[in-house]
Amino acid sequence: MTDELPNMKRFERRELDVVVTYEDGSEFQITYDDLRHACPCAKCSPLRNVDEASKNLRRQVEALPKEKPKVRTVGNYALGFEWTQGCSSGIYRFERIWDLANRRDPDNGKPYVHGAW
Amino acid sequence: MSDSPVSTHDPKGDVAPAEASPQEQKKMEQAYAQMKRKMSMEEISKKIKHKVMVLSGKGGVGKSTVSTGLALSLAQQGLSVGILDIDITGPNVPKMMGLDGRRLHVESGRIHPAQGHLGVKVISMAFLLDNEDTPVVWRGPIKLGAIQQFIGDVEWGNLDYLIIDFPPGTSDEPLTVAQSLPDIDGMVIVTTPQEVALLDSRKSITFSESLKVPVLGVVENMSGYTISGKAKPGSEIEIAAPAGKTLKTTADDSGAFSVTLDIFKEGGGKLTAEEFGVPFLGALPFDPGFVRGGDDGVHRIVSEPEGPSAIAFAAVVSALQEQIVEDSGSGLEII
Ligand SMILES: Nc1ncnc2c1ncn2[C@@H]1O[C@H](COP(=O)(O)OP(=O)(O)O)[C@@H](O)[C@H]1O
Ligand SMILES: [Mg+2]
Repeated sequence: MTDELPNMKRFERRELDVVVTYEDGSEFQITYDDLRHACPCAKCSPLRNVDEASKNLRRQVEALPKEKPKVRTVGNYALGFEWTQGCSSGIYRFERIWDLANRRDPDNGKPYVHGAW
Repeated sequence: MSDSPVSTHDPKGDVAPAEASPQEQKKMEQAYAQMKRKMSMEEISKKIKHKVMVLSGKGGVGKSTVSTGLALSLAQQGLSVGILDIDITGPNVPKMMGLDGRRLHVESGRIHPAQGHLGVKVISMAFLLDNEDTPVVWRGPIKLGAIQQFIGDVEWGNLDYLIIDFPPGTSDEPLTVAQSLPDIDGMVIVTTPQEVALLDSRKSITFSESLKVPVLGVVENMSGYTISGKAKPGSEIEIAAPAGKTLKTTADDSGAFSVTLDIFKEGGGKLTAEEFGVPFLGALPFDPGFVRGGDDGVHRIVSEPEGPSAIAFAAVVSALQEQIVEDSGSGLEII
């Protein structure tokens, strides 16, 4: 959890990535591949524990047809993405998106142990 | 004893030192402990983003099944979740979460939750029992004190959701929790499609008004039982359903067929929700796997993470999450 997390103001979907704009005016791009590879659900997360499985997940994600997801807000703390193919289960906390925007490991380097970091 | 418990003033001294009697000292200590607990409850509350109470008018409708199912379904999404089980009469959450026989874990004066399936943190009244088969008969004040302690002294850490499982009916426990834990998002009411259960769930909805906790919605549990099978492709199938009804269906090209039996009356939960103007969060099928899961400690959502019951729970969870949208002033623009 980061204390300095600014409020997200704008989430613009483009063909292959999103442009996220924060309250302080900072702007970031996150590719859909990065977003999908970082899915926090209980099925995708454990795959990132092991390098080989993580690379596999990456390849699977990249092999999916490129599409713009449907986006929904979840409460006031997260976003959910719906894709026509691949996993749509994960709920992305704003902290996670902020980490992705800043090219940081959203799992904070910690392995996933049956459901919790 | 000659000294009065009321006054400790030295009768002749004018600048008497504030020497408290043992009784007064005890009172002060209690007041201090109470204040500390209140502060810690507020502190704890800040670290928990959402708090959801799960209630039912009647026992045995599946309240604990729904509480654990909601928790696991949220955890499946990658959220951090805790369950507080304060059903003293029949705390069965630990069993469903694979934590049978756990005892309370206390470290430097703080209670630490146990971790069940999918990392869900669990605190249960059952952790206080020597023997799970002995029902606890606790007198009111002791019981409510234990609940406050369970709220104030538990080291939950940061949670996205805390699900609170209550005893059935409109008892003191929800009131105690609502008064102790600030910012409760609301309550989920579990019912089955039977008339009696529905009648009782109406009481719960009225009860919520007196608690000043909003109803997030009604969940109808054990709503129907789906049987599927194989027959000759295209053949007509007749099934004798409850209440003397006959269900007809046709096997598809591969010979597969499935029909859903309404074990009880259908749609009552939805009607109740409509009648009271509260949201209907969805229906959960009758699934014998829940009973097995309760016995062997592997919850249905864990044993079959993509099965029909897990899918039904995910739908209920997303309806619930829609109800919890607050603070929409954030003004996020999605393009
Ligand atoms: N949807 C369901 N399908 C089949 N059995 C269920 C279902 N929901 C609950 N049960 C079973 O009903 C019993 C009572 O459920 P429980 O969750 O303990 O109810 P409560 O907490 O309301 O007393 C348990 O044996 C449980 O496994
Ligand atoms: Mg129960």
